[in-house]
Amino acid sequence: MNTTTVLLIIHGLLAVALLGAVTHQAMSVWVPARKPAGSFTGRFRSVPGAGYTNAIIVLYLLTAILGGIIYAEYRIEVRVVVEQLGLWKQNGAFELKEHFAAVGLGILPAYWYYWRQPLAAEHARTRAVLTAMLAFIVWWNFLVGHILNNIRGFGS
Amino acid sequence: MFAVVFAVVYVVAVEKNYALFTYHPAVGEFGAGVQEAKDGPAMYWYGWMATAGLAAFVAGLVASFLPEGLTRRLWSGWTWVVPVGVMAAFGYLLRNFFLR
Repeated sequence: MNTTTVLLIIHGLLAVALLGAVTHQAMSVWVPARKPAGSFTGRFRSVPGAGYTNAIIVLYLLTAILGGIIYAEYRIEVRVVVEQLGLWKQNGAFELKEHFAAVGLGILPAYWYYWRQPLAAEHARTRAVLTAMLAFIVWWNFLVGHILNNIRGFGS
Repeated sequence: MFAVVFAVVYVVAVEKNYALFTYHPAVGEFGAGVQEAKDGPAMYWYGWMATAGLAAFVAGLVASFLPEGLTRRLWSGWTWVVPVGVMAAFGYLLRNFFLR
């Protein structure tokens, strides 16, 4: 198992943690539940959203940094093969992953600002939409990364 | 301000290839500005993000010196409207990958 594969596994594990945190927070702002909640889904969305903000920022940054490191190897080992196989939709989906990740990085400062305590009621919609954006980006990037890894993994 | 400027500058940087630097993964070298591929593909993604990050940082710095009364009147929704628009723009710009 080479270094890139190890970094990819860590990247994936961080992404899983990020996926959970950002989904919890997104559900808590878009579909809030009364506390105490009686069902699994109720408990899932009744979490205090603000408490996830710093963790989401740290996990996003770490995941993005590792992704940036292994991206160079992807460019040589994986993307060339995907192009040779003519898998244009998959290639395009990964192109979008890169750009979505960058846009997500760009909104992190605003995301942190609008989740600062005490939460300003007049910025509730901005808070909710920024969270939804990050959730979309993280889900897209996670699923696309998996698909591309299934097509051609590092070291294969 | 950072979110808006970053998103706009990033999409412009991608479209016009305004990369602050180029990375050559096959040889593990960085080069200033936009460079042609050598001994393998040239990667501009890091350079595009650096360009956008620098522009957004400067814009944020300038905004920090603006009067608070002025900045309070800015609609907070621009922080998501513009980045969402940029994401949609990328969907349009990369449509040929999905229409082949």
